[in-house]
Amino acid sequence: MAHLLVVEDDERIRTALLRTLRERGHAVSSAATALSGLRQAVDERPDLVVLDLGLPDLDGSQLLRMLRAVSSVPVIVATARDDDGSVVQALDAGADDYVLKPFAADQLEARIRAVLRRASGTLDSGSAPVTVGPLTIDPRTRRVVHEGAQVELSPKEFDLLAYLAARPGTVVSKRTLLVEVWQQPYGGSDKTVDVHLSWLRRKLGESAAQPRLLQTVRGVGVRLAEPEP
Amino acid sequence: MRRQVTLLVAATTSIVLLAFLLPAAVLVARVAEARALDSVRADLQKVLPTVALMERDEVAARLAMLQEDGRQVAVRWTDGQWLSPPRGDVGADPSSSEVVGVDGGAVLLQPVRRGDGMVLIEAFVPDDQLHPGVTGTWVVLAAFGGGLLVLALVVADRVARSLTRPVTELATTAHRLGSADLTARVQPSGPSEVRAVGEALNQLAGRIGELLAAEREAAADLAHRLRTPLTALRLDVESLPAADRDRLLTDVDELSRRVDEVIAEARRPVREGLAAVSDANAVVAERVSFWTVLAEDEHRRLDVDLAEGALPVRVASGDLAAAVDALLGNVFAHTPEGTAMRVAVAPRTGGGAEVVVADEGPGLVHARVAVERGHSAVGSTGLGLDIARRTAEASGGALHVASSGAGTEVTLELGAPR
Repeated sequence: MAHLLVVEDDERIRTALLRTLRERGHAVSSAATALSGLRQAVDERPDLVVLDLGLPDLDGSQLLRMLRAVSSVPVIVATARDDDGSVVQALDAGADDYVLKPFAADQLEARIRAVLRRASGTLDSGSAPVTVGPLTIDPRTRRVVHEGAQVELSPKEFDLLAYLAARPGTVVSKRTLLVEVWQQPYGGSDKTVDVHLSWLRRKLGESAAQPRLLQTVRGVGVRLAEPEP
Repeated sequence: MRRQVTLLVAATTSIVLLAFLLPAAVLVARVAEARALDSVRADLQKVLPTVALMERDEVAARLAMLQEDGRQVAVRWTDGQWLSPPRGDVGADPSSSEVVGVDGGAVLLQPVRRGDGMVLIEAFVPDDQLHPGVTGTWVVLAAFGGGLLVLALVVADRVARSLTRPVTELATTAHRLGSADLTARVQPSGPSEVRAVGEALNQLAGRIGELLAAEREAAADLAHRLRTPLTALRLDVESLPAADRDRLLTDVDELSRRVDEVIAEARRPVREGLAAVSDANAVVAERVSFWTVLAEDEHRRLDVDLAEGALPVRVASGDLAAAVDALLGNVFAHTPEGTAMRVAVAPRTGGGAEVVVADEGPGLVHARVAVERGHSAVGSTGLGLDIARRTAEASGGALHVASSGAGTEVTLELGAPR
């Protein structure tokens, strides 16, 4: 059970988050303003903060900087603004991850778990290099080495590969990939995933007809696994 | 403008110089001629008593002496005979002193009355003595005039440059603003009217920047205001019993998609800035090359027919890329693997470009409804077409869909930049 602090000015979201996160077994406290949130983050020493960027008294990025000055508590930013680099700004200011509104409770929960695992020092997709057969993915340096040679990937291709590499052998649906990698809990086209997978295969020297590492399970999804002998 | 000012000054200066220098040149020539003739006349006065009083032989002897001195004087005696050869062809006897032009100079004719008749004295003045130093004076005058003209042109050029520089800077700044560089400002200089225009342009640029910032802020605020209650709604719906939850979540997702469209549309002016321009050929080529790998993996024949050279259209490149992605994504999503497809870009009559995405699939159901309402009976097809339609219409173009059992052809007409 983790102690979470939700800093969110909208009462309905705050209430809904408190309820849904408590249902998932977390101890949750909340704050409606940036300053009370900062005070609670210092006083209560939560395990993780879910921070809304659009707070009434202080810009979320500013609060994040102030928080970082006194605490290293993991922060997941929740924002409705996906356009003007506010996400990048928040990550630069010290956020560990972000979710775009409107998000699903499961999506937030998955991110909370991932960030908490990383914070507790458990090696996972967030920190340690992952090796799958001849492929090594290092999320910290965002470098991919395949059969000894570095592979140049676009940011989205890397995120997709890193997500699959964090779950080696597990079949992940394209819908899940759209939610987790593209942050599109609704809408989006499976074909966006397909075309990125095609590029990944191309860059890893394989094809859809003869897949080795990236294996499609028809009607279910895709997995990253060691080539079958 | 600089050229016009310089030409104007050149014309006026030339007229003024000609008006002064031409009469001066004529005057100089006349004065020199009068002076030379006066000198000859004075010499003749010395000969007059001899001619009037002496006998013919004495006069002839005196003439010989004068000619030895270099004077070219001839005398026609009372009997009509010349004591020495004359230079000119004297017609009727002049009644008084007279100057007649002859080859190589002029002759001064002076009639003298003797007791035994009329004697005519002719004194020849060669050209070089008639206009001594005139050519030199004319050269000095011409040089003076030329110098003045050059000086006037230099001053005119300086003045013209000082007038045109601020106007040129104004034009450059206006062009930069027009090409969406909102940091462009002019340093007001030059005449007061031009300075006033410069200051007004700076104010205008500042105002445009403020309006765009306000627009950006409004779009961001809209996103916050719409997505915040949607988040609460979604979280609330997720906590409902399964039967209601799934049905309502579908509605919430649909609502979320609509909200995304509204926000994307509200952000269009921010994305486009002052000048939405992209090269349709380049954007389509780039997007097609992105999707090509999937076409190969799905064993689709992909024919690409691009235009030659750049095709500027009034769409931000990101918007055009999203529209092309939506159309290509539709083909991949709604036609079976192996279905052939075609992408073509061509110039549009009247400017802009025409992008065609066609396939040989089974055809869209309710194509018209899909375009008009943004949805159709075939999943997300409508949404993709709706994105493309909005992009086409915002550029001053339109979207056309032709669908039959033999395939679908979507034509994206894009307007030319303003």
